[in-house]
Amino acid sequence: MPNQLEITLNPDLADAEGQKVCQKARDYFGFELTSVRTIHVITIDAHLTQEQLTAIRSEIFTNPVTQISSYSPLSIDFDWTIWVGFRPGVKDNPGSTAVEAIEDQLRIKLGPNEAVYTSKRYCIKAKNLTYDDVDKIAGELLANDIIQQWRIISIQEWDKLIGTGIIIPSVKLDYIPTVTTIPIDSDQTLQKISAERNLALNPNDIPTIRSYFLDPDVSAGRAEVGLSDPTDIELEYISQARSDHCNHNTFRGCFHYTDRTTGEKEVINNLFKTCIEAPTLALKEKKPWVVSVLWDNAGAGRFDSDHYYVITGETHNSPSNMEAYGGSITGIVGVYRDPLGTGKGSKLIMGSYGFCVGHRDYQGELKPHLHPRRLLDGVIEGVKDGGNKSGIPTTFGQVLFHDGYMGKCLVFVTALGIMPAKVKGMPAEQKKTSPGELIIMCGGRVGKDGIHGVTASSETFSANTPAGHVQIGDPYTQKKMHDFLLEARDEGLISFITDNGGGGLSSSVGESAEYAGGCQVQLEKVPLKYEGLNQWEIWISESQERMTVAVKPDHLDRFMALSHKHAVESSVIGNYTDSGKLHITYNDKTCAYINLNLMSSGFPQWQFDAEWISPETRGLTEPVIGEPRDYTALLLDILGRPNICSREWITRQYDHEVQGTSVIKPLVGAERDMNSDASVIRPVLHSEKGLAFAQSLLPAYSAIDAYHMTSCTIDEAVRRLVSVGADPDQIGGVDNFCWPDIQFHPKKNPDGKFKAAQLVRSCKALRETCLSYGIPLLSGKDSMYVDGHLTGPYGETRKVSGLPTMQFSVTSIVPDVQNCVTMDAKIPGDLIYIVGITKNELGASEYYEHLGYVGSHVPHILPEQFFPVYKTLNQAITQNIIASVHGIYRGGLGVHLAMKAMGGNLGMEIDLFQVPSDGVNRNDTLLFSESGGRFIVTIDPNHQETFEKMFLDFPCAMIGKVTETGNLVIHGTDARQILSASVQDLKAAWKRPFGDLI
Amino acid sequence: MKANVNVLVLTGYGLNCDHETAHTFELAGGIPSRVHINSIIDESISLDAFQILVFGGGFSWGDDHGAGVVQAVRMKTNIGEKILDFISKGNLVIGICNGFQTIVNLGLLPGFDHDYSTRSVALTYNDCGNFRDQWVNMRVNPKSPCIFTKDIHTIELPVRHGEGKFFADEKTLHRLLENNQIVLQYATRDNQPANQAFPDNPNGSVLDIAGICDPTGRVFGLMPHPEAYHHPTNHPDWTRLKEISKRNQNPWPPETTMGLALFQNAVNFFS
Repeated sequence: MPNQLEITLNPDLADAEGQKVCQKARDYFGFELTSVRTIHVITIDAHLTQEQLTAIRSEIFTNPVTQISSYSPLSIDFDWTIWVGFRPGVKDNPGSTAVEAIEDQLRIKLGPNEAVYTSKRYCIKAKNLTYDDVDKIAGELLANDIIQQWRIISIQEWDKLIGTGIIIPSVKLDYIPTVTTIPIDSDQTLQKISAERNLALNPNDIPTIRSYFLDPDVSAGRAEVGLSDPTDIELEYISQARSDHCNHNTFRGCFHYTDRTTGEKEVINNLFKTCIEAPTLALKEKKPWVVSVLWDNAGAGRFDSDHYYVITGETHNSPSNMEAYGGSITGIVGVYRDPLGTGKGSKLIMGSYGFCVGHRDYQGELKPHLHPRRLLDGVIEGVKDGGNKSGIPTTFGQVLFHDGYMGKCLVFVTALGIMPAKVKGMPAEQKKTSPGELIIMCGGRVGKDGIHGVTASSETFSANTPAGHVQIGDPYTQKKMHDFLLEARDEGLISFITDNGGGGLSSSVGESAEYAGGCQVQLEKVPLKYEGLNQWEIWISESQERMTVAVKPDHLDRFMALSHKHAVESSVIGNYTDSGKLHITYNDKTCAYINLNLMSSGFPQWQFDAEWISPETRGLTEPVIGEPRDYTALLLDILGRPNICSREWITRQYDHEVQGTSVIKPLVGAERDMNSDASVIRPVLHSEKGLAFAQSLLPAYSAIDAYHMTSCTIDEAVRRLVSVGADPDQIGGVDNFCWPDIQFHPKKNPDGKFKAAQLVRSCKALRETCLSYGIPLLSGKDSMYVDGHLTGPYGETRKVSGLPTMQFSVTSIVPDVQNCVTMDAKIPGDLIYIVGITKNELGASEYYEHLGYVGSHVPHILPEQFFPVYKTLNQAITQNIIASVHGIYRGGLGVHLAMKAMGGNLGMEIDLFQVPSDGVNRNDTLLFSESGGRFIVTIDPNHQETFEKMFLDFPCAMIGKVTETGNLVIHGTDARQILSASVQDLKAAWKRPFGDLI
Repeated sequence: MKANVNVLVLTGYGLNCDHETAHTFELAGGIPSRVHINSIIDESISLDAFQILVFGGGFSWGDDHGAGVVQAVRMKTNIGEKILDFISKGNLVIGICNGFQTIVNLGLLPGFDHDYSTRSVALTYNDCGNFRDQWVNMRVNPKSPCIFTKDIHTIELPVRHGEGKFFADEKTLHRLLENNQIVLQYATRDNQPANQAFPDNPNGSVLDIAGICDPTGRVFGLMPHPEAYHHPTNHPDWTRLKEISKRNQNPWPPETTMGLALFQNAVNFFS
C-alpha cells in the first residue's frame, strides 16, 4: 500500500517559491494571488512498516527546524489547490535520490516493483479566480503537459482525509519485446513504412538501402544468421546514422549557386570539406598548438606542455522549444559529455550558453507553444541546474531577442574540458577500439525517453512532432560518472570512450566499432528503467547520462571496482570484433546484422539549389534620416533596448566561480555589474596560465548579407578575446550554425533557394575570415530547420523562420593571467583612445533597428588591416601599459563609451571629431556605426608616449579623458556638446527592462 | 620541524569543490587528500590519519530533499561514530556551503553542550528565491573561538547557493550570540551590518549569519567559499585593485588572499 508524505515550510517562514508563483501569475496573466504555499509530496510505493515510515519522515524528509510534514494531507489554507506530478516514464531525479536515502537510512534495498515519486501541491489563496484561471496557472505556469500532469481541487471539493489522492506514475508496459521485419518489395513500401514509423528516411536514400538488402552476397550472409528482410532495429540504425543531425547531410551536400544579379554560377561540392575542413587542416600545419581536430567529440588545443584543452559547442533547439527546462538541461548536461568523451576523457572546466528567443514581452497575435517569457525562464533554469549541479563554471553567456525565434528557439551550449597530455605515458588525445575489447555502458539506464530525438530535430516543428523525445537531464548521475571515468582514465583503464547522445547506442557503438572493424552486442544486457522496451527502442533510446567505453578484458575487474566505489552502474553489453559487421543479438537470437561500411558507401549526396539576390537587387537602400537633436535621450533609449540592456539576473544564477579558476568573471567593473568582453579561467591551479573564452552572435546582419553577418561575428569574437589580453596567435574557433530549412519547395519553402545561398555565403565568409585571422575550427555543429508553424488569430498557421544565425565561440591562451585587463574605466585623468576606423556602416545596426530601418551599409571586415592592430594591442596589454580595453560592438561607440563609464562609475569627456573615421561627418554615424576592428582603450597619462609610439602606424586617436564628475559628456563634430548624462542615469536606463528580476 | 597536517577533502555523490579546496590547503601548508565518501565507509581510508576534515561545496545528491540532507543521512548512518570520535580528539572540521548544510543536518553544529547530533539550526531557501553567485563582505566576530578566523577582521568571499538562509528559533539564536558562536555576518561594502538587506545579505539569513562554529571553535561552517579566493585574480575587483596599486607604487599582487588565510589558520593550529 503506497504512502504519501506531504512536507511544507513552517507557516511562519516565508515561502520564496510560492512568492515567485504569485509574482509570475501577476506578470504573466494579471492574476492577483493573495498567497501561495508549496507542499512537497513524496509518494512511497514500497512495503515499509509504520516504524520505517516514521524514521524516514523525521530523519530524511523533514527538517525539524524549518518544516512540518504528515502522511495525511496537510491542512494548509487555500481557495484552490493544484497538484503537479510527472507523467509516467518522465525522469524524476528527486524520486531516485529519495530511494537512495531511504535505502541508506533503513539499510534495505527496495524491490524491482517498488519506487518513490515526487510531486508538488500548491495551495493558492486568491479571490475571484475561476476554474479556468486556475487551470491556466497550472498549465501555463506550473506544469508543462508534455512531461507533467496536474489536478485542480477547490476548497469546496477538498476531502481532508483523501487530499489529492495517490497517483503512481509508474510505467507498466505489459508487452513482450518483439523484432519486426519490414518488407522492402518496392521503394514506395519502404517510404510508406518510413513515414508510419517516423523513421525520417530521406527518399533519396531508399533505393540505396533496398539495394543493400537485395544484394545476393548480403542476403546470403544474413540467411546464415537467420535474417532475411531488414528488421526494424536495422532500419532504425540506418535512419539514425543517416539523419542530418548525425551525418550533416546539409553541410556535406552539393550546392548549385547562382548569383541572380550577375548570372554567375558556381558548384560548391560539400561545404564542410571546402569551408571548414580544408582551412582548418591548412592552419593545423602552421600552428603546432592544434592537437586534435575534426574527428573526435571535441577538438583539442595545447594549453601547456602537459595539458590540452578541448572545446565543443552544441544546440538543443527542438526539445527546448517544446519543454524549455527539460530541453535545455538535457542540452547542457549532454554537451558536457562531449569533452568527457574526447580523447581518453577530459575533465570539464567551463561552459557557456546562448539563448535566442522571441521578445519577452511579446503581445502579438501568434501563439507559440510556449510564450517567449516562459520559454526563456525555462531555458535559464535548465542551464542553471545542469551547469551548477555539474560543478562546472558557466563563465559566459548571451541572450538575443528576435521574434523570428518564436518558430523555434535556439539554445546554444558550449563545453570546455582539459586532459593531461599523456595518460600512463600514452597520448591522451588518441583512442581506438580493438577486437576483443569489451563494450561497456556506464551511467544511467535506458527507457523510452528520447526515442526519435535525432530525427525530430532534423524536421520542422509541427503538431505531429512526437513529444516522447523530450527528457530531463540528470546532472547528479552524470557528475558521479564524470568523477569515476576520470579516475579510470588516470589508471589507464580506458581504451576508447564516447558519449551516448543523439542516436544512443546506435551511434556510440556503431561509430566506435569502426575502429576495431566490428562489434557484437547482446542487447538483453543493457539495463532498463522498466521492462517492455522493443529491441529497436533499446538500441536507439537517447536516455541521458550514459557513456560507452571500450575496456580490455584484463582491466574489467578494476574498472568495475571503481564504478562500484563511485556508485555508478556499468554493464558489459558486448565486445568489439573484426568481423566487419554490426551484429546485435537479443537472448542469442540475431536481430541486426549489417556491414559496417554500409554507411560510408553509396548514399546519394543531398542537392541544393542556391540563388543569391544581392541587397541592391532586393531593393535595400539607406534610410533618409535627419540628424537627431536629442542624443542624450537617444542613447538612454538604446541602452534600454532588449538586446543591449543588462541581464545581470541571468548571469548571477549561474555559478561562474566553482573550481576556483575564475580570473575574469562575466560581470566586472566597480559595481560588478557590467558584462566583460570575455571570460578568463586558470584551469590548471598550479599554473599562472589562463584560458580566455568569448562568443558572439550578430544575426541581424543576415537581413542584408549572411556573408557579412558571419565575418562580423567572427571579428567581434576575436576582439573580445584580444580585449582581455589573450594571445591572437592561438585562437581556436567553434562554429554553430542555426539556419532555417534551405531545401526549396514551391509551396512549403518557396524562399529555400535564397536561404541556401545565404548559407553558402556564410560558409565562404567563415572560410575566408578564419584563414585571414588564423583560426582553426576546433569544433562545430549545425542545426537546420529553425522554422515553426504558429497559429494566428483566425486559426490559420503561419511559418516563422529564424534569422540565419551563426554563433562563433573562440578560445585562446593568456600566458600570464596577472596581465589580464577588464573593460571598465579605472582612474580619473586616464586618457581615452579609439583604435580602429569608424565608417558609414549603420546597415542593420541597433540604431537603425531602433528607428525601424534595415538599411544597406552592413559593416565589412578587413582582417588584413585589423589583425596587425590586434597584435599590437596585445603587446601593449602584455607590457602593462593599458588600464582598460573594451571592444566596440553592437550599438556602436556611443553605447560602448557608456558601458566603460558605467563600468568605472566614472565620467568621460569625449570629442567625437577626434574619432578616426573614413567618410563620416555625422554625429549619429560616429556614435552608432557598428564598424568592426575597433576598441576603446584607457591608459595612465604616464604611458601616453609609449602607447602612441606603438600605434603610430595604425588608426588610433585620443578622444578624451576619464573624469571624476560622473557624467558622460560628448562633444560633436563641431565641438559643441551634444550629449550629457550621469552614470546613474545611464545605468538606470540600461537596467530598466530587467533590473528588478532576480 | 613543522608537523605534517593531513587534510581530508570529501568527494563523490555530486560534491564538486574538492580540487580547489585541496589546492588551497596545499598552498596553506597542509597535505590534502581527496577521498570518496565511500572509501571512508568501506574503511579503505581511515579518518585516524587526518587532522582536518572538510565537508566541501557541491550538490551532493543533487540537493534533492534539502541541501546536504541525504549526505548527512549517509554519513550519520555509516560513519556517524567515527566523525564524533574525530571531533573529540581535538581535530578540526570545516563545512563549506553544501558542507555547511551537511554538518548542520548531521547536528555537528551548533554543538551546544557537546551534543553533536541534534539538528537545531537550518539553512533554507534564499529569500530572493533563486540560486545566486555574488561576492559578499563579512564582519568577523573578534570574540568568537573559531580557529579558522583568528586575527581576521573582515573578509570578502563569493557565495554560490540557493539554500543559504540561516534560520533558527529565538532561543537558539540567543545561545549562539551568547557563546560567540556566530563567526561571520554579512556586511555592506563599508563594513556596516547588512541588516538583512539584499544583496549585501544575499539570502535573508537571520542576524546576517554567514557562518557559525561550535563552542570549541574547532567545528566551523560557512556558506561562502574560502577556497574560491586562493589567488589574487579570484577577486572580482582585482584588475582595478592592481591598477590602483601600480599608480600608488604599492606592491601587487598581495602576499596572501582571505580564503587562503582561513586555511592557514587551520593548518597552523597544529604546529
